Amino acid sequence: METTALAQSVLNGLALSGIYILIALGLTLVMSIMGIVQVAHGEIYMIGAYSVYYVVAVLGGNFFLGIVVSTLFVGGLGVLLERLCFRPFRGRADRAFTISIALILILQNVVLALAGGNPRSFSSPFSGVVHLLGVAISWKRLVIVLVGLGLLVGLFLFIKLTRTGQAMLAISQEREGAALQGMNIDRVSATAMFLGCGLAAVAGGFIGSLFSISPTMGSFALMKGIAVIILGGLGSIPGAVVGGLILGLVDGVLPALTTTHIAGLVGFAAIIMILIFRPQGIGGHEG
Amino acid sequence: MLEIEGLSKYFGGLEAVSSVDVSVRAGEKLGLIGPNGAGKTTFFNLVSGTLKPTRGKVTFEGRDITGKSPHYIAGKGIVRTFQGINIFPDFTVLENVVLSCHLKPGVGLLETVLKTSGSRRKEKAILERSRQILELAALDRLANVAAKNLAHGHKRILGIAIALAAEPKLLLLDEPLGGMNAVEVSETMALIDRLWRNGITILLIEHNMRATMNLCQRIVVLNFGRKIAEGTPDEIKANPDVIRAYLGAGGHAA
Amino acid sequence: MIPSLAGIVTICLCVLPLLLSGPYYVHVFILTMVNIVLASSLRLINLSGQMSLAHGGMMTIGAYTSALLVMKAGLSFWVAMPISGLCTALIAYVVGYPFVRLKGIYFSIVTIFFSEVVVLTAQQWQSLTGGAAGIFGIPRPNPVSLFGILHVDFSSKVEFYYLALALMLISLIILYAVEKSRIGMVLRGVQQADSLAESVGIDTTGFKVLAFTVGSFFPGVLGAFYSHYISAVNPDAFSFLFTIYILIYMTVGGEKGFFGPVLGAAVLTILPEVSRPLKAFEPFVFAAVLIAVIFFVPEGMAGIPQMVRRVKTAHEKGAADA
Repeated sequence: METTALAQSVLNGLALSGIYILIALGLTLVMSIMGIVQVAHGEIYMIGAYSVYYVVAVLGGNFFLGIVVSTLFVGGLGVLLERLCFRPFRGRADRAFTISIALILILQNVVLALAGGNPRSFSSPFSGVVHLLGVAISWKRLVIVLVGLGLLVGLFLFIKLTRTGQAMLAISQEREGAALQGMNIDRVSATAMFLGCGLAAVAGGFIGSLFSISPTMGSFALMKGIAVIILGGLGSIPGAVVGGLILGLVDGVLPALTTTHIAGLVGFAAIIMILIFRPQGIGGHEG
Repeated sequence: MLEIEGLSKYFGGLEAVSSVDVSVRAGEKLGLIGPNGAGKTTFFNLVSGTLKPTRGKVTFEGRDITGKSPHYIAGKGIVRTFQGINIFPDFTVLENVVLSCHLKPGVGLLETVLKTSGSRRKEKAILERSRQILELAALDRLANVAAKNLAHGHKRILGIAIALAAEPKLLLLDEPLGGMNAVEVSETMALIDRLWRNGITILLIEHNMRATMNLCQRIVVLNFGRKIAEGTPDEIKANPDVIRAYLGAGGHAA
Repeated sequence: MIPSLAGIVTICLCVLPLLLSGPYYVHVFILTMVNIVLASSLRLINLSGQMSLAHGGMMTIGAYTSALLVMKAGLSFWVAMPISGLCTALIAYVVGYPFVRLKGIYFSIVTIFFSEVVVLTAQQWQSLTGGAAGIFGIPRPNPVSLFGILHVDFSSKVEFYYLALALMLISLIILYAVEKSRIGMVLRGVQQADSLAESVGIDTTGFKVLAFTVGSFFPGVLGAFYSHYISAVNPDAFSFLFTIYILIYMTVGGEKGFFGPVLGAAVLTILPEVSRPLKAFEPFVFAAVLIAVIFFVPEGMAGIPQMVRRVKTAHEKGAADA
């Protein structure tokens, strides 16, 4: 297979990796810090996509403006949800889970009512190709990879350098112990929701720039996010990065090398194996 | 009866239990003491199977039980109590003990679904045995009270009753006297003594020094995960290492 | 009180089809009975403290297995249906052991993904499952002769109704028997205090797997029933949303008592069918009911009489003290 096609596939894969990592990081942040299965995470991602759509296609704004607005809006929505829906049930994972389910129904159907069920699309300003090392690759996807990388670095720095970030890391690794050390759980949870939902929103915006959006796009994100988390390690933040990288590359490169039929099978065959032999994933602990 | 050789447990870089050798003879009453954080409960966890040792060997009645699962070890006759959650909160006191009569007489599970006459007979026997245990523990008047509604002292005694129902040969008691007043302490000590007279070997972790010294024939002292002394209560009371361990940790001497 | 009430309800259910005005309502009741079994079997798994979201996947497995056994292996429906249940239970048993070792929310996540893997397998394994389009033309259950006089060939919905009724009654009896047995008591003990149960010799992992396996048998059987009833099956038939709805029936009905899920499934399946506005806003209504239950009536609909009693006693006590 010639270099250009391979390079393009790899870039496709990396772009998908970036998006999967953003989704999975958001999900695992919320899961490991708040201790709940936020199954409405896909709907958050979907609202992020629609927010970008609104700014870009309806208000005529710039794509990056759309991403920023969407992140702030959806992140804020996340903080609101944490305060209203999840905080009253801290420690009651089963009840918080039920709230998540209710949120899926509400969020999906509100958007359905407001925007209709037909898929929509908006264009990314980064059309065309750029030439890197003598190979023509998609500008759009390169931007996604670069922005995704930037966000990862930013998140890493936030965790390393701020007190809240350190608290988040501690809580994600050992929830009960950290709570006893007097960390401000309220603030850390709100931050986790803000970041988690914000990352999902960016992912939604990116997907929207590549493909189309619809009110039911959330389940794709939820399942990918879960796949990444299982592969990379339940409860492991670095694992989400590794898992997302692997799955994204598999989804991006394999279809080009073989038929799509087999690519899909390889992707989740690996995960079935993981599920049966090492359910806690590559880097995770048993919970 | 119970041979523990070189038992160690590392949590990352932390050495919670370090090369501990203990030998428990059948029919004795052995006390395990040490300042807070000395590794006593971790030690219990390693013996009862709740934690897997990093190194070392545990042999019970000639059988190697190192690292086996807790229910397997319970089946062999080692039953422990817990400091924390030691009761089934939503069951009544009676149900707590009935459930714990799980091992003997062995009730075939399919039998109980089909409600065969055989299973009904066994369940009746279990009920009878449970009531006897409650009488022994002086909890029979509280039989139908939800366990979560019990007073603290009664909860701890129920914890012992639950362990008793599993027909232990060796009973590991983890701070059974925690939070009890003087009356409760003497009642519980009498209960433990009665159990011992019925042939159960006792291994006891306790902070209540007087009770431990009175009850136990032999005492093992742990500090920072290591065994620092072993002997009769009098020997331990006079042992300078022990005194230093407790005073050094800000604890009270025996 | 309960047995006689159950008896009366059963008799009513037996005569019901004669009173209903059309095949559509018969269909609604068939769905209701299927949902009742699904919600009740989900509760069995929940009893051990594990929140499973694998029911959709299990139903899919049962549906496809039966369709394939009948259409490709030539088996009779009456053989294929129980085999489908057993196959599903076997798969649950195999994945159960690694799954059950995971704590709480992580268990739930892998069960979600399990269902997704089942869907993906059904979509991709085209040679076996017909791919994304699914399987069509699944034959009706083989004709059966009852007591030598009644000839049932399943050409009308009413005949499926009685089959569903029989399946529901048998399933509920089995589930009830298991719950009231020592198994049920052990499961509840494991849910309350896992380590304590281990310390008295209870193999908690084994029991959790048992609950998961037995609980997954029923969606397997009912999946088989459903695919032969609708005569088609496709990978998305029992999606994540489907599993969520079952969870909603169970939660709104109430998890504490055996009949909570029965009540929840019945009310939430029938009500949207008799009220057009409710059907139109079904997701919102369900979400609102869910939130109301979690905030105000955590024990679900079945817990309302108890709640009322508690409020009354508190009231009377207050009046007496005054």
